[in-house]
Amino acid sequence: MKKLIITTILIICSVLPALSQAKKPTIMVVPSDLWCNTNGYMMEFDNQGTRVKLPDYKRALQENADLMVVISKINELMTQRGFPLKNLESSLKSLETEAAETAMSSSRSGAELSESPIDKLKNIARADIWIQMTWTINTMGPRRSVTFVLQGLDAYTDKQVAGASGTGNQLIATELPIMLETAVLSHLDNFNGQLQQHFDDMFENGREITLRIRKWDSFDGDLMTEYGGDELGFQIESWVSDNTVQGRFSTADASENRMIFEQVRIPLYDANNRAVDARTWVRGLQRYLKDRFMIDSRITMRGLGQATLTVGEK
Amino acid sequence: MKKVLKKTTLTLIITLLFLLIASEAMYGQSRRNKKENTDIWKYEIEGVQTGVQGTYLIKVWSYSPNANLAVEQAKKNAVHGIIFRGFAGTGRVPGQKALATNPNLEEEKQDFFRLFFAEGGKYLKFVSLTNDGAVAAEDRLRVGKDYKIGVIMSVNVDALRKDLEEAGVIKSLGRGF
Repeated sequence: MKKLIITTILIICSVLPALSQAKKPTIMVVPSDLWCNTNGYMMEFDNQGTRVKLPDYKRALQENADLMVVISKINELMTQRGFPLKNLESSLKSLETEAAETAMSSSRSGAELSESPIDKLKNIARADIWIQMTWTINTMGPRRSVTFVLQGLDAYTDKQVAGASGTGNQLIATELPIMLETAVLSHLDNFNGQLQQHFDDMFENGREITLRIRKWDSFDGDLMTEYGGDELGFQIESWVSDNTVQGRFSTADASENRMIFEQVRIPLYDANNRAVDARTWVRGLQRYLKDRFMIDSRITMRGLGQATLTVGEK
Repeated sequence: MKKVLKKTTLTLIITLLFLLIASEAMYGQSRRNKKENTDIWKYEIEGVQTGVQGTYLIKVWSYSPNANLAVEQAKKNAVHGIIFRGFAGTGRVPGQKALATNPNLEEEKQDFFRLFFAEGGKYLKFVSLTNDGAVAAEDRLRVGKDYKIGVIMSVNVDALRKDLEEAGVIKSLGRGF
């Protein structure tokens, strides 16, 4: 009986890792800034005296039918591959609805929903990986061809994790949507091949994230103040080294006020076999600073792969 | 009279036996060559068209001493090429990578692929000849003792990928999440 129980426990333990699922990155297709600029879908605003141009996705989606064809085709093919994407148009609509609801919501006592400036700033369409696409139409006499570029960009590491590009056949009297559809079909398999390699690498070497350490000006010390026999910055660096996959990370910047860790490879699962993202991983550092040095801190996050720990107070 | 009849029958039997042995030797040789060329996967692939949903149109150059056998062999080679080799781009037709990202997959899943590529095996579900397998004159070349035959094939990549994913031979994009 005892043997049976032990065997059952062992089987469950060996099967558990296979059953748990890593946190799935969200992917969204957007037109590139170049495409938006070339086709006149940009909005300009004044940012403290500097003219800033940003892509106007909403207008592009409302006015350009070709863009809809391309986004819809990519979404369709990715769904077929078992990886449905976030839809840009739906995300923009959700944000508008959410903003309207937030503005109108109040409790029975008349209290309004809390929203900090950071919350407002973060109300933008989000994805972990952006598929940025560009196409240009080349004309040579009556013949036309399409040059198509797809780039898969990691939102947190700013790395291009997949890409595919090429120029299609020169055709006469062929509708542009058909040429675009052909271009998507020709390039998406190669793009997905690279995306698959990126995911394989992630499962083997851990998720790559960016970690930022900052300090509140109300904090007594700074990142160079001695704690437990070493500077706080080095204490944090040691923790990062001990808790990354094979100690993989690079310290991109370090001063008394801030540190930036890039290419930080965090495990996909914690000791309890729960899926880990940047926020849950940095929670470990937050606890370590509190338990070891009595330092309070606040975690702010962006998606699965970026977290900021601000030390000094919550 | 009886003696002449007996002699004629004997000659006929000997001739028939000789023909049987000769044809077996020839057929056996070609079968062996075919098998050898397929076993070492001696073929080349070039892309013809890739912009059609779910399929690749490719030209497979197969080697065989018998031109007709080369066409049949090309089907097997086409599916093998899409799984393990991919093909390079030509002109404005973009090349495509192999479905298998692991270079040792064929050895690691030997049992699966032995059945998959057996005579009349599952591979036939994913490939079809275009033009009823008609070979253009310029696609029929003589290389030493073998023919080098170029046949245009259509491979249903989507169905092939799905089948391999379901069999656990290759990973799907969303696996692990």
